Amino acid sequence: MTETEEKADPPAVMIEPIDISKLDPDFREGIRSMPNGEELSACFACSTCTAACPIANTWKYKPHQLIRMILLGMREEVLSSEEIWLCLTCFECQERCPQNVRVTDIFFDCKNLAAEESMIPDSIVGLAKELLDKGQLYVVTADWEREDMDLEPEVPGLSTEEFKAILKGTRTGRIVGGDE
Amino acid sequence: MSDPVLVIGAGVAGLTAATQLADSGIRTVLVDRLPIVGGNAMDLYKAFPTDDCFYCFEGSRSRPGIRKCFYRSAILDQPNIELKVNAEVTEISGSPGKFQAKLSVGSQYIDSKKCIMCGLCIERSNAFSLPSPQCQPQAVIYDPELSDEGAKKAEEECPTKAINLGAQSSEETVQVSDIVIATGYHEMKPVSIDEYGYGKIPNVVTQLELAQILDPNGKSGGALVRPSDDGQVKRVMMVQCVGSRDENYYPFCSKICCVYALKHANIIVLERDGTQVTVVYMDIRTYDRHERYYRVARDAGVRFVRGRVSRLEACEDGTLDIIAYDSLLDKYLKFNVDLFVLSSALEPPKGSAELIKSLGLHSASGFVGPADSTSENEVVAGDHVYVCGAATGPAEIPESVTQARAVVSMILQSRK
Ligand SMILES: Cc1cc2nc3c(=O)[nH]c(=O)nc-3n(C[C@H](O)[C@H](O)[C@H](O)COP(=O)(O)OP(=O)(O)OC[C@H]3O[C@@H](n4cnc5c(N)ncnc54)[C@H](O)[C@@H]3O)c2cc1C
Ligand code: SF4
Ligand code: SF4
Ligand code: SF4
Ligand code: SF4
Repeated sequence: MTETEEKADPPAVMIEPIDISKLDPDFREGIRSMPNGEELSACFACSTCTAACPIANTWKYKPHQLIRMILLGMREEVLSSEEIWLCLTCFECQERCPQNVRVTDIFFDCKNLAAEESMIPDSIVGLAKELLDKGQLYVVTADWEREDMDLEPEVPGLSTEEFKAILKGTRTGRIVGGDE
Repeated sequence: MSDPVLVIGAGVAGLTAATQLADSGIRTVLVDRLPIVGGNAMDLYKAFPTDDCFYCFEGSRSRPGIRKCFYRSAILDQPNIELKVNAEVTEISGSPGKFQAKLSVGSQYIDSKKCIMCGLCIERSNAFSLPSPQCQPQAVIYDPELSDEGAKKAEEECPTKAINLGAQSSEETVQVSDIVIATGYHEMKPVSIDEYGYGKIPNVVTQLELAQILDPNGKSGGALVRPSDDGQVKRVMMVQCVGSRDENYYPFCSKICCVYALKHANIIVLERDGTQVTVVYMDIRTYDRHERYYRVARDAGVRFVRGRVSRLEACEDGTLDIIAYDSLLDKYLKFNVDLFVLSSALEPPKGSAELIKSLGLHSASGFVGPADSTSENEVVAGDHVYVCGAATGPAEIPESVTQARAVVSMILQSRK
């Protein structure tokens, strides 16, 4: 093969622009009407939230971009994004935002909306299932650490039955319910 | 008796300087090349920072007992002001403190002291028009290029004999002690910035043109309509920094276009039902107290896209397909709009370069710079030469007025 035969590959996919008329203009107002959402519109895209976030450097959509996407009406993309679930809820972004946008709370609102529409990542559904099955996420097992500390193998008096019963009646129960 | 002061330009800056000098007993020759005073402020509709509109005169006319507006008495009836409209300064000679200014005064077809604005002449011929109901002088204007038989009829029939179609232009020389330059700005017509199609696509306009569409005294009565077919506008896009902050045009920031763009955006979204506005920007510079306009705009739902317009295409139905690059999302967005508004640079008015040269002043990107750039007296342009308002560079009205007052106080001090 000679050098002249080499050609630059055409781009794998031609990216279409986002058609604004296809977005959901009510999404912005929807979020604004949810708990702590009203300051959403004050965002001026300074990206302080992203600078503050301890983990956004690994995210595809950064916090300020997610807020922008909400403002533009990109409902699908925001509610199906994994970032809202990866958020540590550490409130760093919300603490520093110069326009008092309650970024973390808004991501909670997004998670609630996503949950209503069953757009929850499998890993999160898995956790919910675990919680429902076992009544706890981290099951205490008899191991050498407890032994070293002179603790009984089982946690004394721990009963998760009641908790499981309550959870079944909550949205967590409904979310997992379908799988059972 | 000391020589009068020459004020060139009768916009808000020149008017303020002239009326305040006159009220302090100093004779003033106030010259403007247009037939009416007020300059650019006449075309703004509502003005920040108070959102007042410029129709005080029209408003007071309907109230019984008030026939005269403040400006009429302050300018036209003030004996210390000699107002020369349709006039230009063609040559300045002499020395500081004793300048000789040669004025070329256009034909005074209408005697503004006689015209009662009855409208008869306008009915007779298209050559007559009323630039604005609150114009000063309070008189119609006449365009000789449109002269016809009707115009001659009007001259005969005018109830106050205010029309003289045979008027000739004249020249005169005045000796003045000081010169106040208040020549303001001109909004650039961005015809040479091809990508926006200005001048070719009718629904692409500048902010000043938008202000005239929104004006309740305008053709559409303030309804937001498209220039192409007077159809109602549902979606507007504005683009900031057109010709400003661009080394190919003007390197400076025009300073006030962000504020008035958002003023317009807010009027449209809050007062013209159901119209959407998107603003494409590089930075939003709503300086000091004007940040409020930005906040109100965001709350009102004005869409902000940081980035630039990459493509604009005129559709057959008069709308425009636009693709903008959103640099915050790193995505391209596609819009369809009825009206595309350019926040075009504010440039020095025609003749500025000649004026600066003839008086040996400093040019600041084409505007009149201070004589000493390190001094705090930005209004002192030279020996006995002052500058105020947008003649110093893009400026808002309150700032122009403040500078005009500073000029007046310096002239008063120098005459003590
Ligand atoms: C779209 C738009 C919206 C705006 N909105 C606002 C607002 O809401 N609030 C606000 O505060 N400001 C606003 N401004 C700014 C405002 O227009 C200026 O601050 C103000 O007009 C400046 O007044 P001036 O007297 O310095 O200049 P100008 O108004 O430009 O007046 C200059 C005068 O000088 C005359 N002239 C020029 N050269 C010569 C010459 N060589 N010989 C004789 N006469 C000459 C001109 O004919 C003109 O009458 C806006 C500007 C624009 C473009
Ligand atoms: S910090 Fe606040 S204002 Fe800045 S981008 Fe984030 S949400 Fe918007
Ligand atoms: S709350 Fe979430 S988005 Fe905000 S800084 Fe913490 S991890 Fe980042
Ligand atoms: S007819 Fe005479 S008085 Fe009436 S508007 Fe015309 S010029 Fe003025
Ligand atoms: S005021 Fe705004 S639009 Fe005007 S030049 Fe400056 S940044 Fe650009």
